[in-house]
Amino acid sequence: MAPKKKEEPKPAAAPPKPPEPERPKTPEFDPTTITLEFTPEQIEDFKDAFQLFDRTPANEMKITYAQCGDLIRALGQNPTQAEIMHVLGKPKAEDMQTKMLDFDQFLPIHQHICKAKDCGTFEDFVEGLRVFDKEGNGTVMGAELRHVLATLGEKLREDEVEQLMQNQEDANGCINYEAFVKHIMAS
Amino acid sequence: MGCGMGKSKLQLKKSIRAALLIQRWYRQYVARLEMRRRCTWNIFQSIEYAGEQDQIKLYNFFGFLMDHFTPASSERNLISHIFRENEICRDTEWERYFCYKDIEVPDSYTGPHLTFPMTFCGVSKLVEAFKHKQLHARYVLQLLGETWRLLRILPNINQVSACHTKEITICGDLHGHLEDLLLIFYKNGLPSSEKPYVFNGDFVDRGKNSLEILLILFGFLLVYPNDVHLNRGNHEDHIVNLRYGFTKEVLGKYRMHGKKILKLLQKIFSWLPLATVIDHKVLIVHGGISDTTDLNTIARVDRHKYVSVLRPPKPTHHAVNGSKTQMMNNRNREAGGLVEGRRRVCSLTYHSSNGLAHQIVDMLWSDPMPQNGCSPNEVRGGGCYWGPDVSEEVLGKHNLQLLIRSHECKQEGYEFCHNRRVLTIFSASNYYEVGSNRGAYIRMGPDLVPHFIQYQASRTSREFTLRQSIGWTERSALRALKEQLFVHKSDLISAFHEFDPNNTGLISLSHWASVTEKVLNLGLPWRVLRPQLVSSTRYGMVDYHQWIRELSITEPKLEISDNSILETMYKNHSNLETIFRIIDTDHSGLISFEEFRQTWKLLSSHLKTEISDKAIADLAQSIDFNKDGSIDINEFMEAFRLVDLSAHS
Repeated sequence: MAPKKKEEPKPAAAPPKPPEPERPKTPEFDPTTITLEFTPEQIEDFKDAFQLFDRTPANEMKITYAQCGDLIRALGQNPTQAEIMHVLGKPKAEDMQTKMLDFDQFLPIHQHICKAKDCGTFEDFVEGLRVFDKEGNGTVMGAELRHVLATLGEKLREDEVEQLMQNQEDANGCINYEAFVKHIMAS
Repeated sequence: MGCGMGKSKLQLKKSIRAALLIQRWYRQYVARLEMRRRCTWNIFQSIEYAGEQDQIKLYNFFGFLMDHFTPASSERNLISHIFRENEICRDTEWERYFCYKDIEVPDSYTGPHLTFPMTFCGVSKLVEAFKHKQLHARYVLQLLGETWRLLRILPNINQVSACHTKEITICGDLHGHLEDLLLIFYKNGLPSSEKPYVFNGDFVDRGKNSLEILLILFGFLLVYPNDVHLNRGNHEDHIVNLRYGFTKEVLGKYRMHGKKILKLLQKIFSWLPLATVIDHKVLIVHGGISDTTDLNTIARVDRHKYVSVLRPPKPTHHAVNGSKTQMMNNRNREAGGLVEGRRRVCSLTYHSSNGLAHQIVDMLWSDPMPQNGCSPNEVRGGGCYWGPDVSEEVLGKHNLQLLIRSHECKQEGYEFCHNRRVLTIFSASNYYEVGSNRGAYIRMGPDLVPHFIQYQASRTSREFTLRQSIGWTERSALRALKEQLFVHKSDLISAFHEFDPNNTGLISLSHWASVTEKVLNLGLPWRVLRPQLVSSTRYGMVDYHQWIRELSITEPKLEISDNSILETMYKNHSNLETIFRIIDTDHSGLISFEEFRQTWKLLSSHLKTEISDKAIADLAQSIDFNKDGSIDINEFMEAFRLVDLSAHS
């Protein structure tokens, strides 16, 4: 009789998955619960910028859902796409170009994003890129970075990757990532 | 084993985290760049349109002078020649005047020699030669003479067929940008009977190779009269050319014969066809249409009688005009006064004395608008704004399916509007500045579906990254804006004083923004621009005297006793140049001191300000470089050009 196969020790229960970064597990976004903490000066600044994005024929002070993310970013925040979708109430793809926001609807959305937790410091960034630094010499392979940006996370399109990486790689296709981070963070 | 799997899972998680971080920062980077690009665009466009309005105000003033001053008035005499009705000379007399035969081409001339009749070879050689050389005046006059003769037998509306599997190429504004025309020819091929082209006006002004572009286009027109079609644009107008650089270019390149060349061009422009229609279905016209556009009427006018559409017609219907302006004001107030970021100035009346002239002006000057209706185009001062309902009506009336027009610079070189019934095509890339916009042209086959090819001429061999090119354009726009701020500094400071009753020298940010907009009237997002215009604030307040100083614009060092005349000078730089060139009837580039004095008198009338004779005399003395009693217009304008101290090259 074959010896009873020793039972494989049950694999330890998988460690609890750490919360996915940048994907808040909060319930649906409710703008009425947001208290605005902007100063009147800031609100005037936002209004000016909002007007710049307004493409309605009669200047109705409205922007499309699709522009909301861009406006928030232009004003200095850097939310993920997921966060933007969340504050917009998870709209359908076809709504993005058709549904509109006016300035009063925009403010609580912007406020919420402004209060979100850390958006990544220079060190976080460099740490993140160090993951791809196979040789530990301060450089990453441009080709690998392109691949990652186009296939993981909130994927970038090929032309976006091109634009990001323009003039960053040296003759060997390597990127010095500290310089790269400085390049992205300075705008 | 568990360890290994955990490590690679951890790696993946880290990679995703890193990717997300880079991606969100990238998206912010792009959004900020886009906002800067849009701001920069607004700055250029507002300043451009403000300049056009300024010009119209000047011409309206001339019209007023013509109608209200006695014939003997000296001011009226200075400018009356531009309103002279049709020349009494007959064409045969003009032919004698324009004759090139006595002009000798010296042996030292290394440019191209033309033989007539023109051949494809000859024009191609011309295209090549223009990269480095200038054509001799004899050949210029000869070529222009042939062109004039040909244009006189062309109809007002070119009728073209896209059948026989020929694709037609349609180009928009070129504005003297030779590099763009060469780029188009390089990508698309030279015009020929197999490769028909339509050029939709505005060949000249602003760029520095307007004349070369004209000679090339006319050359191809002479060789392929059935396959090359030119439409007149609003810049094919000698009075507009006085202000926007073409007159200066010709006189600079042809010192001896420039005047003759300009006169011949004046006639040629008036003989350019007004529109092109493809297969009775696609209408191509430079500006656009209005609610009164009727192609059958247009086909019958004597187009050459409309030498300059900017000659102000007599204002005969004041009451009607008054109410129209009132309607405009009301409507603008309702709409908040903003259209595509441009604030309209409701100061120009709409003359409706001559219906035919109006149709022509409308075709060359109008712009589309998103709202229904048709109203005077007071941003440009000529033509109208027409809405989607007018497009439907006019296209429907003539059984057309598409209107292709130019006249407005578009970031991507082309843009549809009015439910894709109207298409704008613009072919001068980098129009405002290097990197400001792409140019485009259309290829259209028998199916009449437009296909677009975009391009951007690059003046440097090094390719700019997106951020570099936006930065470059932005710096240029800010320079232009700072100049505008500087020339209005007296007005700005006195307006700031109104909000600073205690004379602290400080003003709140809100007031800074609203006052600046009120004085400059450019419709710009001042709060968004603030970080680039105001270096520092104290507790949210702007030190406005310091701010003006920090604009770092140097004034030329001149010994002028009266400073206020300097500011008038800067504000009215273009107006002055225009008046000088109008007064300089023999196009010599020189005017006498007396004419100089009269110019200032004219300007002070227009601006309703007092300018003392002493101040004018001082000014004249200070720039009479030749010390021979005559003033060189170019030298004068150069001496008073503002310089931005902070400019990097």
